[in-house]
Amino acid sequence: MISFELAEPKTLNEAIALLDAEDPEVRPISGGTALMLMMKSGVFRPSRLVSLQKVEADYSRIERGSNGSLRIGAMASLSQVEHSDEVRRVAPVIEKTMRHLSNVRVRNVARLGGNLAHGDPHMDLPPVLSSLGAKAIVAGPSGQREILIEALFSGYYETVLKRDELITFVEVPPQAGWSSSYIKCTTRSADDWPALGIACSLRIEGGSIGDVRLMISAATEKLTRLVSTEKVLRGQKVNEATFERAGESAMAEAEVIGDSRGSASYKSELVRVYVRRALRQAGLGETQP
Amino acid sequence: MNQHAKAISFVLNGSKTEMLVQTHENLVELLGRLDLYGARESCGQGLCGCCTVIVDDVAVSGCLYPAAFVDGKTITTIEHLDHDVQLSPVQQAFIEEGAFQCGFCTSGFILMTHKLLEQKPMPTDEEIRDYLAGNLCRCAAYPEIINAVKSAATKMART
Repeated sequence: MISFELAEPKTLNEAIALLDAEDPEVRPISGGTALMLMMKSGVFRPSRLVSLQKVEADYSRIERGSNGSLRIGAMASLSQVEHSDEVRRVAPVIEKTMRHLSNVRVRNVARLGGNLAHGDPHMDLPPVLSSLGAKAIVAGPSGQREILIEALFSGYYETVLKRDELITFVEVPPQAGWSSSYIKCTTRSADDWPALGIACSLRIEGGSIGDVRLMISAATEKLTRLVSTEKVLRGQKVNEATFERAGESAMAEAEVIGDSRGSASYKSELVRVYVRRALRQAGLGETQP
Repeated sequence: MNQHAKAISFVLNGSKTEMLVQTHENLVELLGRLDLYGARESCGQGLCGCCTVIVDDVAVSGCLYPAAFVDGKTITTIEHLDHDVQLSPVQQAFIEEGAFQCGFCTSGFILMTHKLLEQKPMPTDEEIRDYLAGNLCRCAAYPEIINAVKSAATKMART
């Protein structure tokens, strides 16, 4: 690892001012678990890192709104999110996902904002938060903007964030009436990066699918919403035949990429099976009160 | 002081410590400079747990933790567990159950077990497996390790 300048601002505004819209060698660092890997392997050689460890504690808080929404500070650690009663009450799928996300030590250190801003298509939380309809609140030199998590990623390890923008909060809308699931497939060992991740949320009305959000990750270049398959699902009865049709549709729709975790044709088959399973889990699981 | 070095202060195993660290140093390297070799870098990717260190009461992978980040924090390493000249109940249980062969991963397993038992004093097999999933024992002493965790839990419940 090479040496670099480490800035440790005390406020978010100072942190933004220390970033550089033009310079790819200047980056923010939150927990650092992902960046350390990139720096150790020489993939990323920074000239300056702007540490967010000492910014205001507001950005680590987790709050539940009176309407049942969630507001999670981007500097909350993944463990904090995992063990938060507020999070569990709104979206239990998040806690279930955390159990198989990396390991205890990494979850203790990695932060939610960094997890999203890293842009790694193998991460578990982007598909889960997207299927919940969550958005990122982003701050930059010219003020704030909101970006749906599903629209945050522009390519392989690429996001729509500008170099001098920071995610400050993640907001999850109320989940009343929805039920969600996330399943992933690891092909080499249980703790491997996934070959495929499928997240779905269903709103069931009188035995039929009123609304649905269906996300695929890891097997595709970036997190992708399976829009055509959602159309296949809307208005259909909640049953095996529907899930099976959706699996076929997703297999045709998803542009999967082969890699060391499986060939494209193998992963396509996984898509068919895992979409069906994820829908079954959400469709037959408990709905949020 | 150049921009690539940081003066930091922290509490290490009960003692206030001040030192100058380079920004590219990680926590395992910092501890090595202080002759503490219980946390060892093995996989270098946060997967194996050999470099486990407790920072502000939570377990972290020292190999992925920038040394400069411990400024103002409290660090506990495996070397501190017998500071009162007595092995901790977890250490004792690992010996009694023969929960290691080469011992390279053991300090990580022991520190993780301490954190697990703080949170769940009587963990089930599944909870033990879940919590220790990020610790690898290349000698595959896993059955003995799980026995040791349970035995330590029983010891600690009695005291």
